[in-house]
Amino acid sequence: MNALSPRLSPAPAMSPPNAARIGIGGPVGSGKTALIEALLPVLQARGVSVAVVTNDLVTAEDAERLRRSGIIDPARVLAVEAGACPHTVIREDPTLNMLAADELDARFPELDLVIIESGGDNLASTFSLDLVDWWIFVIDVAGGGDIPRKRGPGVLQCDLLVVNKVDLAPHVGVDLDVMLEEARHVRGGRPLVATACRAGLNIDQVADAIADAVLLRR
Amino acid sequence: MTLQPNPPLEHAVLVSSIVGSRLDHDLGHRLHHMEHDGMVETVRIETRDMARRRLRVVTDRGTACLVALPRSEQLFDGAVLLLEPGRAIVVRALEQAWLRLRPASLPDALALGYAAGNLHWKVRFAGGDIEIALEGPPAAYLDRVRELIAEGRVTPVDAADEA
Repeated sequence: MNALSPRLSPAPAMSPPNAARIGIGGPVGSGKTALIEALLPVLQARGVSVAVVTNDLVTAEDAERLRRSGIIDPARVLAVEAGACPHTVIREDPTLNMLAADELDARFPELDLVIIESGGDNLASTFSLDLVDWWIFVIDVAGGGDIPRKRGPGVLQCDLLVVNKVDLAPHVGVDLDVMLEEARHVRGGRPLVATACRAGLNIDQVADAIADAVLLRR
Repeated sequence: MTLQPNPPLEHAVLVSSIVGSRLDHDLGHRLHHMEHDGMVETVRIETRDMARRRLRVVTDRGTACLVALPRSEQLFDGAVLLLEPGRAIVVRALEQAWLRLRPASLPDALALGYAAGNLHWKVRFAGGDIEIALEGPPAAYLDRVRELIAEGRVTPVDAADEA
């Protein structure tokens, strides 16, 4: 091959050049942090090296909760204080979160996955694909069985919808089958998983979905 | 419920950088010859997915790929993902679908523009019309401005009626 010839692909890489980035968004109290707390041991057991960026309005509440949990090295958790609407820093101007994820990538060269947790927001919250490669939206049964019918952009556009706290359905007057069916309908059949994060229900399915979408191995 | 798994990961091609563009002179020349020999595979990707650095795709010949680009690189139509002596893989971006809406008056245009901004739609302008980049079924968009449509203040415009 002379100097003018197109270069061939480099020798097959054994690992991606940087960690995959996924987003987890959803309303206040839907269980975003609880999902991460449930996911971390499952991912770590699969050999996935994980770090987390949390977003809060004016505190580092969620980051501190994860750092104190004992399930992740505290150095692997960074906090972004949005200071304003939570969706602004994951969609319109995600610079702060990009810098935080870059820092984790640099700090832990073997990193496989950075999870970026949005601050609690409304149903219109979505992630920029400049920031993440794939994203989850978490709603919960206790927030109301009619949430899917409201067709919020977060519910419609996410790559995976998580319907959390399904164990509470009988206690809050929600017909879970109807809620899940409506969620499937408004999403045109795109994936959803029903979870109860505190009980560990179906967390493996969420981990499988993440691995299938963005990780090199399951 | 069961999520549909992608093809087995162990058979996937890992794409960790873009080789070049099929519009590059030398690369395009080489691909042209490879196409004659049936060595070029195509990956068709939705416009909305082109911004992803990390995604799993399957070529028209069934080759599974995990695209895992550095944050500094981005997919584009004609990106060459793999170039080997007997095989190349090239990206083809699927055409963006647009929904065209026509306001009946200037006040209606203001109302429609406000709604589009409030809903964070990606738009472009075509004369007095607004075109919305579809990332889902058209009905999901029309439903958000159904009152403007019902009141005759906004009208969906078919491609055949654009004049």
